[in-house]
Amino acid sequence: MKLKSPRWWLYHILVGGFAILMLYPVVWLLMSSFKPSNTIFITAKSLIPDTWIWTNYSQGWEGIGGNSFGVFIKNTAILVIVVLIGQVISSAFIAFGFARLEFKGKAIWFGIMMVTLMLPAEVVMVPQYIIFSKLGWLNSIKPLAVPAYFGHPFFIFLLVQFIRTIPRELDEAAIIDGCGTFKIFTKIILPLIRPALATAAIFSFYWTWDSLLGPVLYLNSPSKYTVSMALNMFLSNETVSNWGAMFAMSVVTLIPVFVIFFIFQRQVVEGISTSGLKG
Amino acid sequence: MNTRVIKENPSADITIQPISKKGRSIKENLTGYAFISPFVIGFLAFTLIPIVTSLYLSFTNYNLFSTPKWIGLDNYIKMFTGDPRYWQSLKVTIIYVFAGVPLRLGFALLIAMMLNKASRAVGLYRSLFYLPSLIGGSVAVAIMWRNVFGDQGIVNILLEFFGIPAVRWFGNPTAALWMLIFLAAWQFGSSMLIFLAGLKGIPKSYYEAASVDGANGAQQFFKITLPMLSPVILFNTVMQTISAFMTFVPAFIISKGTGGPMDGTLLYSLYLFLQGFQFFNMGYASAMAWIMLIIVAILTAIIFATSKFWVHYESEGGR
Amino acid sequence: MKKFLVLLFSFVLVFSLAACSGSSSSSGDESKTKDEKSGDEQVTLRMAWWGSQPRHDYTLKIIEMYEKEHPNVKIEPEYASWDDYWKKLAPQAAANELPDIIQMDLSYVSQYSNNNQLADLKPFFGKEINTSDLSENFLDGGKLDDKYYGLSTGVNAIGYQYDPALLKKIGMDKVPENWTWDDYQEMGKKASEAGLYIDNGPGTAPDVFFNYYLRTQGKSLYSKDGTQLGYKDDKLFVNYFKMYADMVKDKAIQSPDAAAQVKGLEDDPVVKQNSIGIFQWSNQFIGIQQVANRPLEMIGMPGPDGDKGLFLKPSMLWSISNNSKNKAEAAKFIDFMTNNIEANKLMLGDRGVPGSPKVQEALKPLLSPAQQQVFNYVAWAGEHSSAYNGPDPIGSGEVINLLKGFADQIAYGTTKPEDAAKQFRQQAESILSQNKK
Repeated sequence: MKLKSPRWWLYHILVGGFAILMLYPVVWLLMSSFKPSNTIFITAKSLIPDTWIWTNYSQGWEGIGGNSFGVFIKNTAILVIVVLIGQVISSAFIAFGFARLEFKGKAIWFGIMMVTLMLPAEVVMVPQYIIFSKLGWLNSIKPLAVPAYFGHPFFIFLLVQFIRTIPRELDEAAIIDGCGTFKIFTKIILPLIRPALATAAIFSFYWTWDSLLGPVLYLNSPSKYTVSMALNMFLSNETVSNWGAMFAMSVVTLIPVFVIFFIFQRQVVEGISTSGLKG
Repeated sequence: MNTRVIKENPSADITIQPISKKGRSIKENLTGYAFISPFVIGFLAFTLIPIVTSLYLSFTNYNLFSTPKWIGLDNYIKMFTGDPRYWQSLKVTIIYVFAGVPLRLGFALLIAMMLNKASRAVGLYRSLFYLPSLIGGSVAVAIMWRNVFGDQGIVNILLEFFGIPAVRWFGNPTAALWMLIFLAAWQFGSSMLIFLAGLKGIPKSYYEAASVDGANGAQQFFKITLPMLSPVILFNTVMQTISAFMTFVPAFIISKGTGGPMDGTLLYSLYLFLQGFQFFNMGYASAMAWIMLIIVAILTAIIFATSKFWVHYESEGGR
Repeated sequence: MKKFLVLLFSFVLVFSLAACSGSSSSSGDESKTKDEKSGDEQVTLRMAWWGSQPRHDYTLKIIEMYEKEHPNVKIEPEYASWDDYWKKLAPQAAANELPDIIQMDLSYVSQYSNNNQLADLKPFFGKEINTSDLSENFLDGGKLDDKYYGLSTGVNAIGYQYDPALLKKIGMDKVPENWTWDDYQEMGKKASEAGLYIDNGPGTAPDVFFNYYLRTQGKSLYSKDGTQLGYKDDKLFVNYFKMYADMVKDKAIQSPDAAAQVKGLEDDPVVKQNSIGIFQWSNQFIGIQQVANRPLEMIGMPGPDGDKGLFLKPSMLWSISNNSKNKAEAAKFIDFMTNNIEANKLMLGDRGVPGSPKVQEALKPLLSPAQQQVFNYVAWAGEHSSAYNGPDPIGSGEVINLLKGFADQIAYGTTKPEDAAKQFRQQAESILSQNKK
């Protein structure tokens, strides 16, 4: 690409143009966070604020009831890290079992796993709540974090699919070299599914970051609340909502996920050099 | 230590069909269970009881606080014979799934193929395309979407620019559903990312060999990209179908929890939520959940059954 | 093989460790088991409410004030937005984990009380809770089957809130106190000619406005025992909703599809000067006045017999959960929020106009002009109203949903009022009949 060919231009006009179209709502969100709260809807048409104000950010950051927004970000970050580590490691482990090993009842367990994805959270949440309450886990992140260490069906299935694209000759070669099953998992499979692991990590990060139902159910003390709960508290169903602060803090909460994504997406697409695979 | 195991089954058939080959050693079974044990333990500890409970509740009259009262099949009978809103929610959901999933996956695959290059600019593009999905299901999305599709929103401005009369997106039951479908399509990031990861796993040498043989772009796409990507396509199709059936948050926040206008956005999960937590008919909501489970399970099974014909697993010697 | 076992073991370990340390985090549970009567023993109360930022901030100040006066009491706040609040409360009730003090809504109180989740407050009246300044009507706001499942936090009343400047455009200076539905329709016609709406119609809360209409006719939406509809003649339904449909057709009321486009108070037709007024609760006046930022007025609902229709409704209730180990202490704090003047100075009528005239009097000098208007209107309404029907029966959530659906269909013109009346009766009564004992 030393000389910008017409193809290069076409590519960037097409992709760039589409990106701008896609991003309009996000830009609207960003711009609205600089508008006075009461003019956001009235001036919805114009993207650029008439006057730029920062008070939405300062007000929003003050937080709610003596907990600054930083507290909510910290809570969420801790939860996210604990969950992410658990979900990715355990899911990779389980996925290897499903994808590479033979054992009795495998199909049944795989089926059960898929079924757990198909039942809406709303109907299992009350019995689940009672279990966690019996364990004395309410008002802590345990009901949210501990289950993460037992795998997540979405990630398990994802990783299973990726492991299955890896030629078996690699395993066989390793076996000849004297590797055991566990070694095959750590030395051969894990490095090769790095893009999929990075994908799982990204998903795990932002799903937990975004999640609302779990924290709403299990966290009672406001000082333990997560960002998604805090954002809802800027709004009122009875009277005036503080839209400005809500938008501003939405932008703030978007930054960490965006940064994480930007870092990890390289792993997804540039993580492995395909040279590791023989055609 | 397990050298022999795998050697004995060099081309072991790892589909999800039941495998009951005799003579599998205890050790082999143990190894398998050791690997999936976290799932098994977690399932037994946290999920099994709630699932069984919800099945039991579906045969009861239960308002969350009282002792459940056994009423046999009444909930199911009411659902199919005496509840027009149930059918409305089913209809809306089916449209949502069958329009939304292909749209989302199509977008995701198209963009993923365009962005499957290693350059800094492309990395930025990837992140930008992913941004809408990162906003996720927060309240900000609902308000953003209400403004984009509002009376003076960009969508109506564009429509009028092209001479099409403005649409009251939130006031028209059909338009409101399409607005939800567009939202689903707009947040295609997660599927895109999975496609990207899949595309990266296709050895470059395949394409090089094909080029040498004189295959053009379209031929390469159909002969190499699609088959090699098929396991990931299967994954995305199954997962997106399941999650589309379960979609709750967008419909809830955009319709302000009502499913309106005129039940136009009353997705199945939303109606289930209203029944369970607003009308306190948890027994009925559980019955709805189990019917949904059956529908989704059948669909998933169909997708899996057809996968034999179009999904290509490199590890299973199907080249 | 060993490695698997090590890994497996570590999973089990993580799980059991978490389980062991679990008890320490459910703070407050241990202290609750202590004796109720004692004055000095340490008591921890959990208190839950919904709302937005300003309410959270001032309620925390009230708690702080109370804790200073009662050093033995610790109150743990649990607040959330409206939607999140009810998602939280339902499983808590199912698991017997309800907070001691609960901010309860009138639409949920029968559901929670019927299942023994809430305590009867009667034993505390006149003791922990001073009721000497509270009227019987005020106390009855939380009464169900002779039990008091909640104490009103304050009262609201519906009314017509309008912009006098816009009213001038249809040749009127003010809406007379004794206006009737005929006047209203007449004004609607003129408004539509002037390119304005007269109001928002009953579409947002048809149960409230239709119930008002029924009350003016001596009927109500639900029967007293809550097992059927409170009116026999479907003509009342037809008359009321036909008026709505006609006015939508005449563009005197915003059509429901346009109403659905409204994003918030900020682009409400009244605020954007497209509508002369709006029917809504008195406490909502402050918000719309603040956003509109110009003088607005408030008047009663159209008659005839407006005083039969109008009523003072508890804005919300303070309830005590039945699983609370410290009911008496919880009642004392409810008393504090009801009767303490300093506490109410912080609340400033945010949870409705306080029931005690003494408190009302003390607040007057502190009120903003808009709050003043609300207090005055509620005082006026107190004299021009009759007793409240009491909390809605079980199943009302579903009935209200139905009614909303039919009101929309009528306004969209897809269902005739006559058909809607019949279908509504049939479906609503099948829901309510489940309350028969």
